[in-house]
Amino acid sequence: MDYIKEKTPPIREDRLLACNAFGGSCCDLAKTGKKGCLNKTKRSFAQTQGCQLNLSMAILDSIRDSVVIVHGPIGCGGAGLSYGALTSQYHKLRDKNAQGFLWINTNLDESDVINGGEKKLHDAILYAEKEFRPSSIIIVNSCVPALIGDDIDGIVASLQNEVVAKLVPVHCEGFKTKIMASAYDSAYHGILRNLVGQPEHDDSVIEDELELLKEKYKRSRSVNVLNVSSMSRADELELERLLKALDLNVRFLPCYAHPDDFTLATEAALNISICATHDDYFVKHLKEKYNIPYVLQTIPIGIRNTNQWLLDVAEFFGETERAKRLIEVETKELNEALEPFKNQLKGKRVFLSGGEIRILTTAELLQDLGFEVLGVRGYHYDEFANPLIDNLPGNEKIIFNVATGQPFEQANLLESFKPDLYVGHAGMNGWAAKQGIPTFPIFIQSVNYMGYSGVYELTRRVSRVLKNTQFSKNFGKNVKLPYVDEWYGKDPFTYIDSSLAL
Amino acid sequence: MSTFIDRPRYLCSLGGAISTLNALPRVITIIHAAAGCGSNLANAHNGAAGYAGSGYCSGLALPSSNVYENEIVFGGETRLAEQIEKTLEVVDGDLYFVLTGCMVEMIGDDAQGVAKQFKDQGKPVYAVDTGGFKGNSFRGYDLALQSIFRDYLEKQDEKDEKLLNLWGIVPVQDVFWKGNLKVLKTLIEKLGYRVNTFFGENETLDDLKNASRASLNIVVSDNFGIEAAKVFEEVHGVPYISIPFPIGDYGTEHFLNEVGKALGIDEIFIHKVIKSEKTRYYSYIERLADITSDIDLQRYAVVVGDSNYAQALTRYLSDDLGWLPELVIITDDNLNDEDKNVVLSRFEDYESGFKPKVIFNPHTSSVLKEINIHWPGSNGHKYYNSFSPAFILGSSFERDAADKLGASHLSVTYPVCNRVVLDRAYAGYEGALRLTEDILGALVAGR
Repeated sequence: MDYIKEKTPPIREDRLLACNAFGGSCCDLAKTGKKGCLNKTKRSFAQTQGCQLNLSMAILDSIRDSVVIVHGPIGCGGAGLSYGALTSQYHKLRDKNAQGFLWINTNLDESDVINGGEKKLHDAILYAEKEFRPSSIIIVNSCVPALIGDDIDGIVASLQNEVVAKLVPVHCEGFKTKIMASAYDSAYHGILRNLVGQPEHDDSVIEDELELLKEKYKRSRSVNVLNVSSMSRADELELERLLKALDLNVRFLPCYAHPDDFTLATEAALNISICATHDDYFVKHLKEKYNIPYVLQTIPIGIRNTNQWLLDVAEFFGETERAKRLIEVETKELNEALEPFKNQLKGKRVFLSGGEIRILTTAELLQDLGFEVLGVRGYHYDEFANPLIDNLPGNEKIIFNVATGQPFEQANLLESFKPDLYVGHAGMNGWAAKQGIPTFPIFIQSVNYMGYSGVYELTRRVSRVLKNTQFSKNFGKNVKLPYVDEWYGKDPFTYIDSSLAL
Repeated sequence: MSTFIDRPRYLCSLGGAISTLNALPRVITIIHAAAGCGSNLANAHNGAAGYAGSGYCSGLALPSSNVYENEIVFGGETRLAEQIEKTLEVVDGDLYFVLTGCMVEMIGDDAQGVAKQFKDQGKPVYAVDTGGFKGNSFRGYDLALQSIFRDYLEKQDEKDEKLLNLWGIVPVQDVFWKGNLKVLKTLIEKLGYRVNTFFGENETLDDLKNASRASLNIVVSDNFGIEAAKVFEEVHGVPYISIPFPIGDYGTEHFLNEVGKALGIDEIFIHKVIKSEKTRYYSYIERLADITSDIDLQRYAVVVGDSNYAQALTRYLSDDLGWLPELVIITDDNLNDEDKNVVLSRFEDYESGFKPKVIFNPHTSSVLKEINIHWPGSNGHKYYNSFSPAFILGSSFERDAADKLGASHLSVTYPVCNRVVLDRAYAGYEGALRLTEDILGALVAGR
């Protein structure tokens, strides 16, 4: 893979034939999906969804000692308001002096739409440099300047010599793609082009051969673990604990990293992804450009996938036996700890919604605990879901709805399934709760969810949530969703239009 | 000429229009915009307004045409027509408003024309151009109201002398809008009038449709909804008055006197109402005589917020609490010199005689900088009259500045992320009691 010479990355509809509209069984999805048949599906009725700018911000906001400039009208990036004042705690978990999320909006108005917004961007970059002295200034491009043709890269090139901060343009205009996850490629594209590089080597120092050997050994045992912004510090500590047991040194990128950390990224022996949807663009480029191998197959959620993830890493370092011993000890201990919960959870019917990779592995985790999985909703579908779907027990009966948001489809599904529990991502849980269904949020930045300890934490929490579900029951009795009654009698996938699908 | 803004405290006109219309009962907004607009704006509505939530059909349920490159190249009107048709099929509402985003306006889509096709078939579908580049949330509020006044309100020749409309409190941007409207409505009702607040409790779309029967529009703001009030007057012949948003004894007394004057109510009657309200107000405030006198709860204060709140909060701090609101930072970005002069005049003639320094600055990082300019540091002197004890009354953004300053803090102005707000009000006498509880509550919380 080599798109790095281009100013902008390709969109995922083209690169991965990703789709975001489908309804049917898991089996059907894998069958049609593998042929790339779903690429052009769309909805004739649609609800709003995240765009790649929104999602790019999730990674970019978290980068420490940086300022994000949203180049666009005043509302773009406004979601930052909902957590803008509260992010410093997560930054501070990594560096207690961290400032939290700083952003500027260039406030393009009607006259800029006619005359161009470059001057405002220029001024905003100089303001960010003078006001905050950050290590990097990340410029996020929105729809309007893209349409009027502002030359972001030209401004960056002309200003880079005037400012100390590294300037990082990120092209993530929302109207370019339906696949919100294209955001990851956009963010990584900017990072790869502007922050990743080989650290400078100081030739003037006479080197000690023993020190050199030590350094070489250290690097041969160093790995980059690619984190996601919706995982917790506790998740990182758990994954670090497991990798340290294999004698590996761990660096976490890209979320909550310092811009300088990306320079060191090229010194790792292996890149370890925890989510292919999130990282494939990054790791494949690092392989292409710096010849760093990668592990991309699965995500350490649930016992089987955590085992698999560890074995993938261990195999690379020739530590398979050691990993197997670790897995044996860990899983024995964990399974004993899970035993007391299983009676309560056995046979409970669950419906899940979220990103394709995490939601499929979480479904499997819940099956292990004795839940019956009725259906899953993924934000989008691409090839990375296939092995997980293939391995999901009972997949021929499980419903799969590919939808970025679209709570109307979910409402219809939940009305007919009436699950005992809904497991979902922020923004969608509330709608399920209003139908009276107990909800269990995953992907919270403050709780442990990954690795072995994550399985236990999730189990402990889900058991607690199910002990009193009165709050959502009250919603169910007293709140109405905004859909006409007839909607619930129709096929939930009525408004998915496959006429343009291949 | 607008500038870039360091952490702006408002969204675009599309954002303002969405939150305005979604605050009306059973009104459905259909946005004709790129996919991310609705979700981005909905996040800010929910998380930054005291967890106002997704509402009836906002949040991720917001119907949206989600236009992509194809529509931007070939035009999005066909897609909009499809989206409107299907929304009418799926979503249960009484009134449907199409709101446009930047992109479809730039390519020249005629959203109003598309909406009219449905209107002509008897469907309650309207459209407003609210492209984000038109301005901020306050502008979006104004644009949405203008459209409602022009297109939705019925023409009424007969006026109802006892009916008033209340505007100027912007849903979501005023995090306490619902409570505030209730308080102000109750207050004006005591003068013997009926009041439509439209966005408050128990209001109906029929009230809105017949709003042109009112004899007066009261805009509780110097800046928000003024253009719309002019449209109302032009189209329906109902005059308007603009009165500053009131909090506390002195602000509310001024408010009631102004309303009374405009309606030609007998002064003696107004004074009677004010006296009864004040008696109740001070019967509670009186309780604080002991604690405030025993442990000295007077503070230097900094007020940060929009032009509605800044003047109301500052007058309350100066004249009700007897504090020293040294510095006021008004974060509106779209005021011209004339507007600014009106706003500045609201900080004069304080009962306490106190004169705050008032500046206009939309940049969040400027707050701490302006405080340090206004009240320079100790410069190493042993005896130094420091800016302490201090209190910052602003948004959640100011929590960091307060920490750095060692000041106490309460989030009142948008964004409010560290509090949950339901029907709390800060307006009027009633609201000032809540505000006093919350401010002094923050001071005694650590005891």
